[in-house]
Amino acid sequence: MKLFDRVTEAQVGAAIAIGFLLYNLVFWAYPFLWLAILSLSDWRFFGTPSYAGLDNLFFILQDPEFWNSMWNVARFLLLYIPIVLTCSLAFAFGLQFIGRGKAFIALCFLLANISSGVAYSLVFTKIYSSTGPLNSFLFEYFGFKIPWLTSPTFAMLAITLVVTWKFVGYYGLILYSGLLAIPKEIYDAATLDNASGFKRLFKITLPMLNAQIIMVLVFAITVGFGIFTEPFMMTGGGPLDSTNMPQIVMYETAFKRLEPSRAALMAIIIATASYLLIKLVRKIFEKNVEIV
Amino acid sequence: MAFKKKSIGAWCITLAMYALAITWLYPYLWMITSSLKSTEEIYNTGLFEGSFSLDNFVFLFDTAEKLNRPFMRALFNSFFVAVTVTCSVLLTSAYVAYAMAKIDFKGRKQLEGFLIFQMVLPGMMLTIPLFVLIKQFGLIDSYAALIVPTLMSGWGVYMMSQVFKGTPNDYIDAAKLDSANIHQIIFKLMIPLNKSIVAIVALFTFTGAWDNFMWPLIVISDVDKMPLSVLLATFSKQYGLYVGPVMAGAVLQTLPLLVLFIVFRKYFLQGMSLSLK
Repeated sequence: MKLFDRVTEAQVGAAIAIGFLLYNLVFWAYPFLWLAILSLSDWRFFGTPSYAGLDNLFFILQDPEFWNSMWNVARFLLLYIPIVLTCSLAFAFGLQFIGRGKAFIALCFLLANISSGVAYSLVFTKIYSSTGPLNSFLFEYFGFKIPWLTSPTFAMLAITLVVTWKFVGYYGLILYSGLLAIPKEIYDAATLDNASGFKRLFKITLPMLNAQIIMVLVFAITVGFGIFTEPFMMTGGGPLDSTNMPQIVMYETAFKRLEPSRAALMAIIIATASYLLIKLVRKIFEKNVEIV
Repeated sequence: MAFKKKSIGAWCITLAMYALAITWLYPYLWMITSSLKSTEEIYNTGLFEGSFSLDNFVFLFDTAEKLNRPFMRALFNSFFVAVTVTCSVLLTSAYVAYAMAKIDFKGRKQLEGFLIFQMVLPGMMLTIPLFVLIKQFGLIDSYAALIVPTLMSGWGVYMMSQVFKGTPNDYIDAAKLDSANIHQIIFKLMIPLNKSIVAIVALFTFTGAWDNFMWPLIVISDVDKMPLSVLLATFSKQYGLYVGPVMAGAVLQTLPLLVLFIVFRKYFLQGMSLSLK
């Protein structure tokens, strides 16, 4: 009887798993097959795809718009990573000093993280506008205005700041959980050795936070290659393509220029680039920290 | 690190943290107050100055309707899609996660490997081929196009199964002795015992479905089937000068997420496994 029960239960388990896998076969594996086929063919949404070999690749290699968008990811990450890492580290350190209001403060920051991309993009567009509250404030107290979204110099920074606003709370809490795990004895020992605060930060805290910092870096890189709503809504990729990100180029190639096969290959290149950069960052920065 | 007696420096940092927390809410505050002001007043008055009214919302539901921008309908569409997707993901995730965590069947390890592989590959790669698939099914411009591709979630399964593993087997064995079937075990035992992870999967799935922008932008062109996110974007593109109504739309788009976040805040923080006291 017992044995019989177990057999049927295993069958139930397998049946559930098969149901899940069947769904994924249709809506996950099959699309991937299409992605591979599309990237090697010439197709414009109608008829059967005809084999085009590496034509799409040659086209993309010579497509200045696509490479400009990849360069824009680099520009975005060069701004975003230092800003968001500094801010979320500061947030994590600051949170240690808070007693009761910890949850309140964390929630205020996390609220930005669950907000709607379309909604806050519209809100920040108005806040950044030349008569908006940010520029009114700057003009009143410092006597100048910044053309946040209309100048190629500042547009990327403006978007970076919005994305930072969104993610600081989340990244900060990841770092904070890492801080909590550092044994207090290490700091006590360092204090006995008269290590300066600066030294403690770079010799103890940051190395001990390695796993969490890597995690934040991986998330940040993923955001850089995947960002769409914010630039699409706030600048439309402009001015002068200065915020034209790969996802926008991919979207426009597929649905405005009606070249889905080229866009499919772009998707593969973008994902590969993202993967390689993450791998590189981990290779350079990841360390196995052990608490002895 | 616990600071029992606060030094002056610690007080300054505490104060700065509270100030920053309020600053982080500023875009929200500005959005809400702007949505209650007339467009002329938005840029000329301070945050809490000006005359407040619900005119912008009336405009959105009344005048915009005549401009072929049915916001009421879009609100319904968004709710319908997000609720359906969330229910489906919760239900399927609970079953698959239970099977993965507590049932010994052949290929269980491989299934877990597949889930991890699926989560590592960026979903954006699938946008174009999924569009092709939906087009082949003839589902373009239908609710199904918004719902069907996200009925199940590998992430949801993975998160739930990780937590379900922690539920003691004794409970399940006891339930089985009382001849509980798999549905009863899941609904009367696993879900009530692991509310926090269920709430988190629900919150993130709902937010993801509600806030999805690129996908509905691609598959929906019929204004009557547009979710709020896309309708708001097209409205803002065409009538961007109506700042007041646009901000009212942004409030509508944000409000459900805000309410869910506040209701589930306890589980949310718990799920981030933080000892925030």
